[in-house]
Amino acid sequence: MMKRFRTIVAGSVALACLGTALAGCGGDSESGPATLRYSWWGNAERADLMKQAIALFESKNPDIKITPSFQEYEAYWQKMATETAGGNAPDVLQMDFSYLREYADRGVLLDLKKQTGDHLVLDDLLPGFQGAGEVDGALYGVPVGGNTWSMYYNPAIFAKAGVPEPAAGWTWQDYRNGMAKITEATDSYGGGNYTGIIYNLEVRLRQQGGQLFTPDGRLGFTREQLGAFWTEGQELIKAGVVLPVDKAVQIKPRSGFVDDLIASELGWDNFLVRYAAEVKTPLKLAPVPTDNPGQLGQYLKPAMLLSAASRTEHPEEAAELISFLINDPEVGRIFGANRGLPATNAQRAAAQLQGPLAEVAAYEKSIADQLTKAPPAPPKGAGSVEATFIRISEELHYGRISVDRAVDEFFTEAGQKLGS
Amino acid sequence: MATSQSAVRPDEPAGPAPRSRRVGAAPGRRPRRPGDGPAGYLFLSPWILGMLLLTVGPMAASLYLSFTDYNLFTEPEWIGLENYRRMFGDQRWLQSIRVTGGYVLIAVPVKLAAALAVALLLHQRRRARGFYRAAFYGPSLIGASVSVAIVWRALFSDDAVVDRLLRAVGAEVGGWVGNPELSLLMLVLLAVWQFGAPMVIFLAGLKQVPAELYEAAQVDGAGRWRRFRSVTLPMISPVLFFNLLLETINSFQIFTSAYVIGGRNGSPAGSTLFYTVYLYDRGFADFQMGYASALAWMLLLGVGLVTAFLFRTARGWVHYAGDQR
Repeated sequence: MMKRFRTIVAGSVALACLGTALAGCGGDSESGPATLRYSWWGNAERADLMKQAIALFESKNPDIKITPSFQEYEAYWQKMATETAGGNAPDVLQMDFSYLREYADRGVLLDLKKQTGDHLVLDDLLPGFQGAGEVDGALYGVPVGGNTWSMYYNPAIFAKAGVPEPAAGWTWQDYRNGMAKITEATDSYGGGNYTGIIYNLEVRLRQQGGQLFTPDGRLGFTREQLGAFWTEGQELIKAGVVLPVDKAVQIKPRSGFVDDLIASELGWDNFLVRYAAEVKTPLKLAPVPTDNPGQLGQYLKPAMLLSAASRTEHPEEAAELISFLINDPEVGRIFGANRGLPATNAQRAAAQLQGPLAEVAAYEKSIADQLTKAPPAPPKGAGSVEATFIRISEELHYGRISVDRAVDEFFTEAGQKLGS
Repeated sequence: MATSQSAVRPDEPAGPAPRSRRVGAAPGRRPRRPGDGPAGYLFLSPWILGMLLLTVGPMAASLYLSFTDYNLFTEPEWIGLENYRRMFGDQRWLQSIRVTGGYVLIAVPVKLAAALAVALLLHQRRRARGFYRAAFYGPSLIGASVSVAIVWRALFSDDAVVDRLLRAVGAEVGGWVGNPELSLLMLVLLAVWQFGAPMVIFLAGLKQVPAELYEAAQVDGAGRWRRFRSVTLPMISPVLFFNLLLETINSFQIFTSAYVIGGRNGSPAGSTLFYTVYLYDRGFADFQMGYASALAWMLLLGVGLVTAFLFRTARGWVHYAGDQR
């Protein structure tokens, strides 16, 4: 372990040195072309596409040069944390919704409001994305792509069990009854245990007019509400209608749709693309069940954003790069849905979505008028709270702890994480 | 300091044996001069720099950070012993100690026993000995990699190889990956499978046992087991001790396989929440670098205490040649 720790520290030191060197290089900007450092997370495929997009940008803006860098998601945030700690944040960086406030509060990000208009065009954003990326009145991120919560289901299994396919107007009780019927009539479980995922709690709270986090960054629900939600999950386990936790743990990171283990699940709609590659029967999308007609609790989540660093010497050029990456139809065509479903109308039209992606786009369109305003950017520590939710509900599903103890543990830990 | 200085001297031989020869060959060549020092340090500088920058410096930094509240973004804030005090009320920390302790207690003896058993087999003269040695050593080279951990996970899933084999002999246990009772055992087996490194050291130790001791024992009528108990074990006890220390210290530091198989929550249900995994989770997921540093120093302290304890017991069972016989 010490060895690992040593490696990590060594890496950070090396990064810090490298960062200083780069900053030194970029110092004499006034004479030559402006150089922007641009970082994102993603795999080699995204890097290839990004290279094309950057080349296009540079050909249209000969006075701006881009120095790209990318890592996988977790490594990216580790590097970003060390870079910003050393005062060397890249000029333009890919931002996740759950980290937005964390970085904004630390003064790392540039308020893009001053750049909108001339250098940053936001008029073409989908209505659901307008105002996304704002924290306390300042604009710290611009959405590139997004998704919404949804219900996946396997129509073949539903048909086999004689259960009507989920549709608008389904209640949670309908869903639970359907799961029971499917489990009884087929070899599949009715669904996954939805009470182990915090977004299902969020959607439930929003359906009742509540929220996951209060605007001042506290938990937006009571112990009783969480207790009731988790008790519901324990009843599903007792009834044997959801995928048992030991099976769910084993197949990670694949979904239960593989091998027809489950007939339905709730999740982000863009995962349909991934599932489509793993599952034999094509899956379909439906709105989330709700007990409050007309109130789905769903919203368009700006999953991926672009931000600029407050320390950048070229705020205008940074804004231009961001504007280009979200608006240019050619960029939309290059990426398709690689960055999620595009956030602007022009890019969504240019992306030429096909197969499952077209389905996701159609699904989003079908519920567009029922989507409500996205919650403000999650508070600092929200990502960590999500992980805590997963961990504690797993222990609960294994029967290691009681619902009461699980609720106590969650509130204690979440309180610590949100407080710090 | 003393060691590095003696290592600098190019004219000072390493052991007593070559000394007589070298001294005879070039008597009085290059006597010790004060000017030798700087040049020597210059030659050593890659190592010294690496040591200072990559080991001593970061360790000192982490010691300092362990007394602070530090989240990587804001300045570290001195909070004294608070991090250390907090640990003892931290259920997950206690859980990580239980998991790691249990793992060390099972994995180390089983792995050493396996290594010794195979070393004894390979020590005998038989055909293709070199091939077997290489084959058994192989897992040690690749065992710590991510890909092996992924393969291991696949082997122990529902309806995979292990499950089917067990079912064939009538044991219905299902997949091990999702079973909190068995997930730790799965990682123990992965460690045991990598017995090659201690095996090679055992083989070297076995070679050092003088054949006449076995002959004498045989003349005295000792059977195989008796010869192993009374000749082999005492004779290789220094090697056994060395392996025991090395494996114990290594086992405390298990990370890669545990992280790949159980994730940062130590899934399922915290049963693979090893100390290092918990430390990583606190440091790099929660960004509680101060607390993570304190955890690291506690681990160092713990491993140090265990090592000291092993050294104490060693007096009773480790025999060095020429010691007391």
